[in-house]
Amino acid sequence: MATTTSDVQIDIDAHDAHHGPEKGLLRWVKTTNHKDIGTLYLWFAFTMLLIGGAMAMVIRAELFQPGLQLVEPQFFNQMTTLHGLIMVFGAIMPAFVGLANWQIPLMIGAPDMALPRMNNWSFWILPFAGVMLLSTLFMKGGGPAFGWTFYAPLSTTFAPESTDFFIFAIHMLGFSSIMGAINIIATVMNMRAPDMKLMDMPLFVWTWLITAFLLIAAMPVLAGAVTMMLTDRNFGTSFFDAAGGGDPVMFQHIFWFFGHPEVYIMILPAFGVISQIIPTFARKPLFGYSSMVYATASIALLSFVVWAHHMFLTGMPIAGQMYFMYATIMISVPTGVKVFNWVTTMWRGSLTFETPMLWAIAFVILFTIGGFSGLMLGIAPADIQYHDTYFVVAHFHYVLVTGALFSIIAAVYYWLPKWCGRMYNEKLARIHFWWAVISVNVLFFPQHFLGLAGMPRRIPDYATQFADFNMISSIGGFAFGSSFLLLTYIIVSCIRSGEPIEDERVWESAKGLEWTVATPAPYHTFNEPPQKDKILSESSHVGAH
Amino acid sequence: MQSHNQYFVPHGSYWPIVGSVGMASLLAGFASSLHGSALGSGAMVLGFGIIIFMVFGWMGQVVHESEAGTYNKQVDRSFRMSMAWFIFSEVMFFAAFFGALFYARNFSVPWLGGASNNFFTHQELWSDFKAVWPLIQMPDPSKFSVPKDIIHAWEIPAINTLCLLTSGATLTWAHWALLNNKRNQIIAGLAATIILGIIFLSLQALEYGEAYKHLDLKLSSGIYGSTFFMLTGFHGLHVTLGTIMLIVILMRVIRGHFNPENHFGFEGVAWYWHFVDVVWLGLFIFVYWL
Amino acid sequence: MKYVILIFFIFIIYSLASALYYMMKDGEGSKRMVKALTMRISLSLLLFIIIIFAFWMGWIKPTGVV
Repeated sequence: MATTTSDVQIDIDAHDAHHGPEKGLLRWVKTTNHKDIGTLYLWFAFTMLLIGGAMAMVIRAELFQPGLQLVEPQFFNQMTTLHGLIMVFGAIMPAFVGLANWQIPLMIGAPDMALPRMNNWSFWILPFAGVMLLSTLFMKGGGPAFGWTFYAPLSTTFAPESTDFFIFAIHMLGFSSIMGAINIIATVMNMRAPDMKLMDMPLFVWTWLITAFLLIAAMPVLAGAVTMMLTDRNFGTSFFDAAGGGDPVMFQHIFWFFGHPEVYIMILPAFGVISQIIPTFARKPLFGYSSMVYATASIALLSFVVWAHHMFLTGMPIAGQMYFMYATIMISVPTGVKVFNWVTTMWRGSLTFETPMLWAIAFVILFTIGGFSGLMLGIAPADIQYHDTYFVVAHFHYVLVTGALFSIIAAVYYWLPKWCGRMYNEKLARIHFWWAVISVNVLFFPQHFLGLAGMPRRIPDYATQFADFNMISSIGGFAFGSSFLLLTYIIVSCIRSGEPIEDERVWESAKGLEWTVATPAPYHTFNEPPQKDKILSESSHVGAH
Repeated sequence: MQSHNQYFVPHGSYWPIVGSVGMASLLAGFASSLHGSALGSGAMVLGFGIIIFMVFGWMGQVVHESEAGTYNKQVDRSFRMSMAWFIFSEVMFFAAFFGALFYARNFSVPWLGGASNNFFTHQELWSDFKAVWPLIQMPDPSKFSVPKDIIHAWEIPAINTLCLLTSGATLTWAHWALLNNKRNQIIAGLAATIILGIIFLSLQALEYGEAYKHLDLKLSSGIYGSTFFMLTGFHGLHVTLGTIMLIVILMRVIRGHFNPENHFGFEGVAWYWHFVDVVWLGLFIFVYWL
Repeated sequence: MKYVILIFFIFIIYSLASALYYMMKDGEGSKRMVKALTMRISLSLLLFIIIIFAFWMGWIKPTGVV
């Protein structure tokens, strides 16, 4: 290589190794640094979380009392639709990609992501797609109002003009996710420190690797589904029109073939985060490391063969219903393995309850509640009662809010001190935790009862017997919503004026390569890969098997 | 020596943001032009131009860096992996459309005809409808363009299949030549592949014209027309892209790029071409024969 | 006859996929990728000939002959 070294090479070495980030706004536009891009992803996700949250506040305000008070039904439907789309594609997924960008290179001892320029592009598609999606609200006929699952023919024959903008926004978001996933696979497979074996990787890296495979397999199918929607709407095809030999139910099959893996795309990285945090504050190696890896892989595989459990009421041969029911229930086995492993990791540990640990424990308990209501929904004969009721709403908010979102908040509390070299205000953070965890249960737990009593989802008005629980739920909703103002304050004040930390290991018993670099994490890390003994001594699971 | 060399982390780059602006302009323009906005088509053309500019600028930079020896083996491996997984995502995109074809043939059309437990569906909705494939008479023909006939396997499709398969063979011939460093044979093989690709595309265009003008077989010809044109159309798009990429590779070979030790660009494009070739074979089998 | 075609097609996809795997795994200087691709193109041509032959013998019929 020495003989072919050109001036390009020297220039890059000299420039990149000795200089920090560029100055000014252009730094963020041009950046190829995984830490910069991770930061961009996380702020984008947080912004979208607040926008989507504001929509949820509109929904809960309208549902505070029976009757139509605040908004038109059509606008209410736009709110439920965009709330779902923004939270899924704008908040949860980008937040996890942001965490991956920050953490994966640090955790595997890599200098950066494998394809830094493409990494920048994956991010910079998102703001454009987000604006395109939100702009639909201001178009003629209003924004999409057919629910985040955009079933045909609501989204084809009966949808407003703005739906075409929604379709292209989905195309762009999908393109960005696919590039992000490709980058993560190439990083994990190719950029690991040479002495790190696959089974030495931290679980966060493992879960993201598997998630990336899910993304590459699922997102193109979504792109296909919205492409068929586009041509059905504008070019006279009849994929989802029975009059031409197609079938609206086919849309649901294609959508959920994407949609069910998508659910795991949003929860597997959360499992990874929790598997990093619990050992740190239990001061024990993770129990059952390899079983965690295999459980994650089997959840991912199973996620592709259970999609029609979302469609028990849309018409399916009885044999199909039986198959999808049993396959669905099988997923609870590997998921149970994970929950038991977390509990066993804590068992007889020297537990302390710093804020990240509080969120992790809340995750384990509340996610399990969401898992159990999922089992109830997975049973085909019972689902006839629950389908499209508030029970479903309660179920997926338990897994996505107290599951995915809680793990993201836990991850931010856990790694933020490392990223910015400053400690958050522990007292305020605890107040925030208890505020959020109580209010989120006031918000979502009564929705189980509403659903079992038969209140349908996606309606702006309801029968008076549902009034009390809806009022309780709305009060919880406002309380939970306002907790994010406190979270914003905690994060901003931590970054600007938190107490500086010097220790490389922010948490006394945390393990992992990310805790071996300086605090705050320097702009460039691991220009030289870490050695084998360091990798092994930083493994949080050695001794567990 | 090489493995100790540092992994190449490029400087900040303007290309991604240029690409995003182009993509947003293209798609937002497309969406507005669908609803009659005159501005929309302008934005679309502009966006397309920006994307082309971005692709050539960005790839040009990558080629330049590659020829300057900036990339070590590890960077090469990153490119290979990402190309592989990108193509896998393409496979899944085609799978959605093949899935639609499969579903229509095996479920929705027979069910509309009363198969399985759908007797009353058939009675209630379109009791005259007969489920046959290829579906020429749709359940409600008034909304659609009823074709006189479909494209038959022994016309252009068979010639096209032969065309693409031969192009796969010439490309493999060039591939072997590259590994044995026979420059003239590489150029001949690539040129033959490109010519066959262009013949394929022209015949495909001819076939579409035939279908639209004489057979009334259109996108709006029910589920048969929908799946036929969407599958072959997206395939044709990929052949177009593949041909452009092959032309770029040919130019690079003529300029003396690539050698038996450094030729990822060639292999990536070659595999892409083989992939497009197999998709066609799948189309030929599933649309025309099985 | 349908199954013969399907089995051939599966083998073609397998050789194509293994070429992808070798491209990713082996890096420069390996011939496994080009060998797999040679295999895949030979199988494809063979399949095409088989389809023509089977049609000529009347074993299969194209769709659309109503």
